[in-house]
Amino acid sequence: MSLADLTALGGFAALFVMMALRVPIGVAMGLVGVGGFAMIAGTGPALNLLAISPIRTITDYNMSLIPMFVLMGVLATRSGISRELFGAGQAWLGRFRGGLALATIGACGGFAAICGSSVATAATMTKVALPEMQRYGYPTNMATGIIAAGGTLGILIPPSVVLAVYAFIAGQDVGELFIAGIVPGLLAMVMYMAAVRIIYGRSAPAGHKTPWPEAFRSLFELGPTLILFAAIIGGIYFGVVTPTEAAAAGAFLTGLIGIVRRRLGWREITESLVEALRTSVAIFVILIGALLFGYFLAVTQTPQKITAFLVAMDLGAYGTLLIILAVFLILGCVLDAMAMIILLVPIVFPVVTQLGFDPVWFGVVVVMTVEIGLITPPIGMNIFVINSIAPEAHPVGIFKGVTPFVLTDILRLALIIAFPAIVLFLPGTMG
Amino acid sequence: ADLRFSTWAPPTHPLQPTGWEPWIQSIQEASEGRISVTLFPSEQLGSALDHYDIARDGIADLAYIAPGYQAGRFPVIALGQIPFLIANAKSGTRAFDAWYRNYADKEMGDIHFCMAYLHSPGTLHSKEPIAVPGDIDGKTVRPAGATIGQLVASLGGASVQVSAPAARDALEKGTADAITFPWGSLFLYGIDEVTPYHLDMPIYTTPFITGMNKAAYEALSDEDKAVMDAHCTSEWAEKVAFGWANFEDEGREKAIASPDHTLHEPTPEEVKAWQDAAAPLLDAWKADVTAKGYDADTVYQGLVDELKAAGALYE
Amino acid sequence: MAITARPGILARLETVAKAIETVAGLMLAVITIVVFVSVMGRYLFTSPIPDSFDLARLLMGATIMWGFAALGFRGRHISVDLISHILPPVARRLVDAFAALVLLGFTALLAYMMFSRVSSAYFSGETTFDLRLPVWPFVALTWGGAAAAVLTTAIRLVLIVTGRAEALEAEAGAAPETNAS
Ligand code: NA
Ligand code: NA
Repeated sequence: MSLADLTALGGFAALFVMMALRVPIGVAMGLVGVGGFAMIAGTGPALNLLAISPIRTITDYNMSLIPMFVLMGVLATRSGISRELFGAGQAWLGRFRGGLALATIGACGGFAAICGSSVATAATMTKVALPEMQRYGYPTNMATGIIAAGGTLGILIPPSVVLAVYAFIAGQDVGELFIAGIVPGLLAMVMYMAAVRIIYGRSAPAGHKTPWPEAFRSLFELGPTLILFAAIIGGIYFGVVTPTEAAAAGAFLTGLIGIVRRRLGWREITESLVEALRTSVAIFVILIGALLFGYFLAVTQTPQKITAFLVAMDLGAYGTLLIILAVFLILGCVLDAMAMIILLVPIVFPVVTQLGFDPVWFGVVVVMTVEIGLITPPIGMNIFVINSIAPEAHPVGIFKGVTPFVLTDILRLALIIAFPAIVLFLPGTMG
Repeated sequence: ADLRFSTWAPPTHPLQPTGWEPWIQSIQEASEGRISVTLFPSEQLGSALDHYDIARDGIADLAYIAPGYQAGRFPVIALGQIPFLIANAKSGTRAFDAWYRNYADKEMGDIHFCMAYLHSPGTLHSKEPIAVPGDIDGKTVRPAGATIGQLVASLGGASVQVSAPAARDALEKGTADAITFPWGSLFLYGIDEVTPYHLDMPIYTTPFITGMNKAAYEALSDEDKAVMDAHCTSEWAEKVAFGWANFEDEGREKAIASPDHTLHEPTPEEVKAWQDAAAPLLDAWKADVTAKGYDADTVYQGLVDELKAAGALYE
Repeated sequence: MAITARPGILARLETVAKAIETVAGLMLAVITIVVFVSVMGRYLFTSPIPDSFDLARLLMGATIMWGFAALGFRGRHISVDLISHILPPVARRLVDAFAALVLLGFTALLAYMMFSRVSSAYFSGETTFDLRLPVWPFVALTWGGAAAAVLTTAIRLVLIVTGRAEALEAEAGAAPETNAS
């Protein structure tokens, strides 16, 4: 083993120790990156990475879409759009057995189209849908499990912070990745709904019947939101605007609609701005750390060595892919979704492209894989967030409630691997 | 010594196989294996915009630098971006390198300058015909850099900044109406499919540098310094740029041969109109270098003379 | 061993943090509007806001760094919560103090090194794309955020060590938790 290999191994060990001791993920990656770079290239150059790289990361025009999409999601929540979405779902699906569960998943999918984060989607929907489901006698495990799963739609259906970060790290087009996420996202929603019907079709209580005029009125209320989403995704799909411009338009118009409908005042807007800022800064800290860590990995040539090693094992393209996804799944049990993308994508991306897989397709596959980690024990961010909002739901109970959906996730992953066209068809028509 | 060479081009870019790799191999052979160079392509060690600092600070020992990416920082070499000056990137590169050697120590004093090279001049590719400067009015152009951006603005057009891979989409969907781009890369990025019209004149080029970290150079033995010096010459600059220039020039041949493409060769009057339109850029450049304490006319004439002698002046 | 917090100081610190966040949040709004108006200008009049590209990204840098200062004070970074909730309170405070100390070290190094970027932007005469505005004031503003972050992170470390971090959270109110994933 060379000095570079030992340094790389030591770097990973130091990283995990620091993360276990609650050092912010980005800071741990950044310090290990700089320290490791110093061991290979000297202290002066390593410290200079800190002078150059972080400020470049936060002034990257393409990355400014993250704060704007986060802002759009926060403004949408504050304007009560989540409540409207659930209301419409209830009006149309509430009459069936398990109808509230279907409504919840539909509302999660709708909210995911405005919000770029799974955890935020789960948190928002817990507040809106959980009390209703409890009122109609849903067992808490079942109800929270449904919300936890529905929340994962947040990072698959565009906009998606995690897909944007993948695009940044893998050097892919954000717009293309967003468009690629649409069909798999809708497929996920449909499969979750099917799972609800199959598993809870008899046991889940029915909600109340909504008269048809009222049901149509609920759709009408959603009008501005639907138009906004269509405009944003349409703008990206038709290339009328860049994804960053779409994000700015989305945040601006969501705010404007909220003001016009008297849902947002000065106070709500400033609070939304502060909340969006906090979330965005936390994401940027991780990005900064990821790049510093990436430079360290590059000088040790770890990705190249791992590529050579995996390719030499000669498991075939799909064998190697399965090993990579298994690593994501296992680490997903304990690591944050975005941290995992940031840590692993630079290492496995060269392997995957060398094996001839499409980088956009792989982005969607990776996001679906880490998304499973959000709802599996012992660390599932969606579960914890729901638990923090609804303390009466025990994490173990939520994990139980979400299990059927994890199975549909795995089935969907298999479908996407078998039929890459599910992902690639739509972006392929972009031109 | 094992030197890290950081670039931001992908490994498939013509510069790597036809330029840097033969250069590296020659260095290894000339030093009898004492110097080895490892390439880190695709921004592995940092953003394209930061490559000057990457060489200066020793993050890499060698770096591929685009000085124009940081507007205003390197005013002298920015002469290479002034439109309608340089006709080709082969003898043009040799001339450009020979000229810039006189100023490199002053302008890029905190790195060890190795060589300067150019890409084959690019031109305007558009969805609708563009023949004269007035045709830019009201159009949105994806410019190659700040200088072209200023030209576009002065002619009543708007600039839109999108990355090279996103440029095709921007044109197809109407975010942009035209683009300034080198010929070969036009086909590489598929932009040829959306821009049937081309102005057949060398409009602009972009200077690039291979720079070395000062301490890394000083740390070499005298023998190895001599090897590096022998590889940091105007002749090597031309050799490194040659394959890339060929690649770009082939793109123009391809467009000429294709029935889908219309090349417009401007009349002498039209050329004059374009040069007049670009004249304020040269004045602005002169003001910039004068402000930094250079005699602008001497610096300018120096490049013109070198280019003329090499047969690479656009007239 | 928890020392009773002096609400006066905590309340004042909270006011300052809130003010920083609000200004940075408003800058986020300004950036959003600049980009939006620029797109509209490009479509309707072929005239985008000059330098909207550089203004958006340079202001975003400053916004994020000042937000980083506020976050250092609040300690709301994304971290892995694997073992701390099974630790007794004293051990947990030790872990928190260690994490805050590491964050402080990183922030101090960052601010120290980033200063060289300010001076290099100043002396090299780097400018924006369209209007050729000097870049260094934006870099200096960004660096100011990094410097402020050193201060706020140090204050938080002191609060954790003296057992007043919880009182601070109470002062800030139960703001909604947000997360990236
Ligand atoms: Na989403
Ligand atoms: Na998990």
